[in-house]
Order: sequence, then structure tokens, then C-alpha cells
Amino acid sequence: MLAVKDLSKVYNDGKEIAVKALKEVSFTIEDGEMVAIMGPSGSGKSTLMHLIGCLDQPTSGEYLLDNEDVSLANEKQLAVIRNKRIGFVFQQFNLLPRRSILHNVEVPLIYAGVGRKERRVKAKDVLEKVGLGHRLDHYPNEISGGQKQRVAIARALANNPSLILADEPTGNLDSETENEIIDIFHDLNEQGHTIVLVTHSKKVGHSAKRILHLLDGELVEDEVVA
Amino acid sequence: MIFEIIIIALNSLKANKLRTFLSMLGIIIGVGAVIAIVSIGTGTQQRITARISNLGSNLINIRRGYRWGRSGVSSTATNVFTLEMAEYIEKSCPDVKVVLPNNQGSGLLIKGENNIQATVVGTEAAYQEIYDYYPRQGKFIGPDDLKEANNIIVLGSELVNELSPDSNPLGKSIKFNYQNRTLLFTVVGVMEDKSTGGPVGDLNSQAYIPSTTYMNKLANSNYVSGFTAQARSSEVASEAVDQIEYFLIKAIGDKDGFHIMSQDQILDTINDVTNSMTLMLGGIAAISLLVGGIGIMNIMLVSVTERTKEVGIRKALGAKKKDILTQFLIESLALSGIGGVLGIGLGYIGAYLIAQFAGWPFVVSNLSVIVAFSFSLLIGIFFGIYPAMKAAALDPVDALSYE
Ligand SMILES: Nc1ncnc2c1ncn2[C@@H]1O[C@H](COP(=O)(O)OP(=O)(O)OP(=O)(O)O)[C@@H](O)[C@H]1O
Ligand SMILES: [Mg+2]
Repeated sequence: MLAVKDLSKVYNDGKEIAVKALKEVSFTIEDGEMVAIMGPSGSGKSTLMHLIGCLDQPTSGEYLLDNEDVSLANEKQLAVIRNKRIGFVFQQFNLLPRRSILHNVEVPLIYAGVGRKERRVKAKDVLEKVGLGHRLDHYPNEISGGQKQRVAIARALANNPSLILADEPTGNLDSETENEIIDIFHDLNEQGHTIVLVTHSKKVGHSAKRILHLLDGELVEDEVVA
Repeated sequence: MIFEIIIIALNSLKANKLRTFLSMLGIIIGVGAVIAIVSIGTGTQQRITARISNLGSNLINIRRGYRWGRSGVSSTATNVFTLEMAEYIEKSCPDVKVVLPNNQGSGLLIKGENNIQATVVGTEAAYQEIYDYYPRQGKFIGPDDLKEANNIIVLGSELVNELSPDSNPLGKSIKFNYQNRTLLFTVVGVMEDKSTGGPVGDLNSQAYIPSTTYMNKLANSNYVSGFTAQARSSEVASEAVDQIEYFLIKAIGDKDGFHIMSQDQILDTINDVTNSMTLMLGGIAAISLLVGGIGIMNIMLVSVTERTKEVGIRKALGAKKKDILTQFLIESLALSGIGGVLGIGLGYIGAYLIAQFAGWPFVVSNLSVIVAFSFSLLIGIFFGIYPAMKAAALDPVDALSYE
């Protein structure tokens, strides 16, 4: 379960160019939910994702992850949370270009201290899960955008985190590939992962069970999809 | 996990081989230069030491002092040493075994159509013993030759090669032209080969005549230019020096009228000089190591900037500050370490080639290798820590959005 209460983020706080990217947002997401976050560009979606992904810290407010107050955690503890409990999928894929696909998926396992052999096995496992078991030794520049995003999903799954966050995961993909990727997220959700994804697509949004609508940094609607 | 991070760091270096090599170049050259220079220093020193020791043992060199002229500009060598003094010293100094007068002059040796510029030494039989140097052919100067001031000459091996390479020189006549005087000598001996150096010069290219012949017929002087004495043993060498000094002060009445130095003192002086030369040159080479370190820092800073996104990705996937710091620190350490190893290779090759070329012993001191290598590692840490800290301190969100 994750819960945010009065979560605010101000960029360049105290300066003239200060931007209130997020204004006292509160909501709760239960384990096993699949939630979409929607809103116009600049409404604070990525900012929110960074906060619940523990990549950034709020200016004020509370963030409880499994009943633990994450806003009190230090840098090292945040790194461990990112490593073990959260999987992040980016719009830009963000694979390491000079490393093989297998190595890319192994990276979170390396930082988790998993031994070499076990790491191989686990990485291959998750790559097979996303349908890329046959491309282990390829490099990111040798595969398509959709395949890159599958690698990124496999990487997010490597340490088997309960929470998967995806910021516009299909933003750079055509609609056919988009469907494939969304199907993967549905499968993962069925297997018990909590999924939070940002999207601009109404179709993708409505395939989730719940949509949080952001506008100008405020949560304006918490819509339950019928 | 540290092992994994080492692999990651080495892979990054492998991905950019040319740049990696270029950034190591400063360290390679620095380490190589330090090792080669120290080796050259030790080689020279060993050669000089060997040659001076080869001269003979427990020798004491006594030279004339210089008296400054009135103006303080010109100086003249003092004429104070006589042949008789040699006998007095030998008799009155208990720790002195033998004293030999030194006389030598440079002139032209002429045999038939061949001639050569050579140093002629006026001496006597004891010369052989003192320098452990004997004729390989014929004989050396005997007591009768000395008494009668005979016109006989013994040639160094190198001179024979030059003057009569084919025929037997024994019994042949040879002319020596010295300060517009020409004297005719009969060759009675040829000396063995002996490589030496230091204050007596190269024995092989000298010729030897009786000291009486030298003084009475060549130089027309009652004075000798110095003495070579031999102490009874190395234990009493410094006592022997003291005794001779005491005698000479009494005889000449002036401490500045002469210089006295034992072989050990000469060696010490030469070693002092070569040591400080080596240290100075090695230090200069070490500065190039420092420059190499700045090169590494420069390349690491560029690398951190270029790989900002990579750092962001790694942090998003759970890398701690410490992990990133270690990764970049190992990279710079590997640069300087591998550079150091290559530099050691270069130093060995350089030192070997120079030793071959110059003909002195090839010695690389382990200490210089250890010091140069550790210094290069230290430089890797010192100049790598700042870029690594910079990488580790990157904010994950900022780093991820870096293009
Ligand atoms: N690092 C930053 N410094 C200053 N302002 C920022 C920074 N990051 C985001 N902002 C501002 O915060 C606001 C919210 O940005 P955010 O990226 O969360 O929007 P978004 O909803 O993800 O938009 P998009 O759909 O275009 O991705 C914007 O006005 C943006 O300009
Ligand atoms: Mg965004």
C-alpha cells in the first residue's frame, strides 16, 4: 500500500522562479491496484512519479510506503527502496547503450548484491517473461523501440518489486506496440504487482481500474473506471 | 559486489581504448622516466665504482695545492713535492706500505710513420703492485733503469694496437715528443689490458718510463706533481691518511699546499655526486607523473559529464552513492595502475637500451619500481577522487534528464 498526504513539490523554492509543481496532493493506492495518472503537459505527473519512485523528495507532505514514512529516509535508504521495492519504467527506455540486454537487466541485481550465477538465471527469467529470451546478447541499438521497452520492464522486474511505476511507457511507441506493452502491464497486475502508469492516451487510461487526474499540480479527480 | 563494480569500471575503459591509452600516457612516461633515470644513475655509479676499485686497493692520492696569485685571479700549482719525500713518507708512516711519485705529461709518441697523442707516466717498479697491473710481454721498469735513468719505455695495450698492430714492438725504438724536446726510447714491455677510470685515467692508453728519466731528461725538474701511496690494509687507511697529512704539514708547513684523499673518500665523493644527480633527475621525472595525474583528472571529469545519464540510470536502479564513487575511483585507479605497469615496462626497456648503448651494467633498483608504481597509484586516487565524488553527488532526477 502506498499513501501520500498533502504532498507538495516546489522547484527552486524561495527563489523568484519558484514553480509549484505539486500542490498538497493526497491519495491512497492499495496493493494489487492498477492506476493511471493523466493530465495535461506540465500538470505535475512526472514530478509525482519521481516522488513515489523515491527518486526525489517532497518539499512538504507525507509519503507512506507499506506504512513506512519514506519522507524521513536518507539517501542510502532511498537507494535500497529503489533497488528492491520499486521498478521504474521510463518513456526514454534509459538502457545502458554499451551493455548487452542481459547485462542491462542484471544491473539492479548487481546493486542488490545477488551472486553471478543466480543473477544470470533471474535476468534470463524476466527477459523470457517479456518475450525476449532469445535476444540476451544483443545490444540496445540492435532492437526496436517496443523491444527496448520490454527490456526496461524486465529490468524493473529483476528484483521482483511489488510496485511498478511507468512514466509514459508508450509515449515513444506506435499504437500496436503500445497495446503489447499495456498487455504486459495487465499481466503483471494480474500476477499481483501494483502498477502506476502515466499516460496521455484515453484508451490506456481506461484500461486501468482507476485514473487520477492532475491539473496544475492539483489532484482534480479520482475516477474509478467502470 | 566490489568485484562487479571493478568489472563495470574496466568495461568502461575497454569501451574507449584510444582515449584510455592517451589518458594513461602521462603516467606511462612518468613512471618509465623515473625508472630509467634511476637505473642510469645506478649504472653509471656502479661502473665508476668498479673502475676505481679495479685500480688497486687502499690507495691514497696526494696532489699539489694551488696558491692564489696576488690579484686573486691567477693561481699556480705549488712545487713542493720531491722524490725524497716519497722515501721519507714510506719510512716514517707506519701504516703506509709504499709511496710512489706521480709524474706525467702528454706528448706525441712516434714510431715510424705512426704517431699518437699519449700520456707518459714517470714511475718505478712499485707501480705494478699498487695498481695490480703487470706486463703481458717483456718487463716493467727495474731498479737499474731507475738508478741509471735509462731511456726505456713500457707501452699500454691500447698504444700497441695503434702504433704497431702487426709486429712485435719489443726492442724497437720509439720517439716521444714532449714540449719541443724529443727523446728516443727502447720498448721493453707491453702491459696487460685493464679497464679503469677516475683520477688516473685509462691505464691502457698510457706509456711508462722511469721517474728519474722523466724528471732529469724530459721535464728537467726536481719536483714531482704528487704521490700515490698505499695503506697497509683498509682498516688502517684513514690512519695512513692522517700520518701522511701530519708529515706533509710539517714538511711543507702549509695545509693548503697539498690535497690528500683516500680511495674511499674519492668513492664517497663520486657516490655523493651521482646520488644527488639521480635524485634530482628522478624528482624531475616524478613531476611528469604529477602532470600525468592532472591528465587523468581531466579525462575523468569529461567522462563523468558524458556519463551523467548513466549515473542517473544506475541511481534509479538502486546504486548507492558509494557504488558510483567506487566505480569512478576504480576507473581512475585502473588508468594510473595500468599506466604504471606499462611505464615499468617502458622504464626497463629504456634502461636496458641505454645500458647497452653506453656499455654500463643494466641495473633496475626494485625500490625505484616500487616507489614509482605506488606514486602512480596515489596519483590515481588523488586525482580521481574529485571526479568520482562529483559523479556520486549527482541528483538522480537531474542526471536522468541530462541529454
Ligand atoms: N527540475 C525542474 N526545475 C524546475 N521546474 C521543473 C523541474 N521539473 C519540472 N518542473 C516544472 O514542474 C512542472 C511539472 O512538470 P512535470 O514534468 O511533472 O510535468 P508532466 O505532467 O510530467 O508533463 P509532461 O506531460 O509534459 O511530461 C512543470 O511546470 C515543469 O516546468
Ligand atoms: Mg512527464
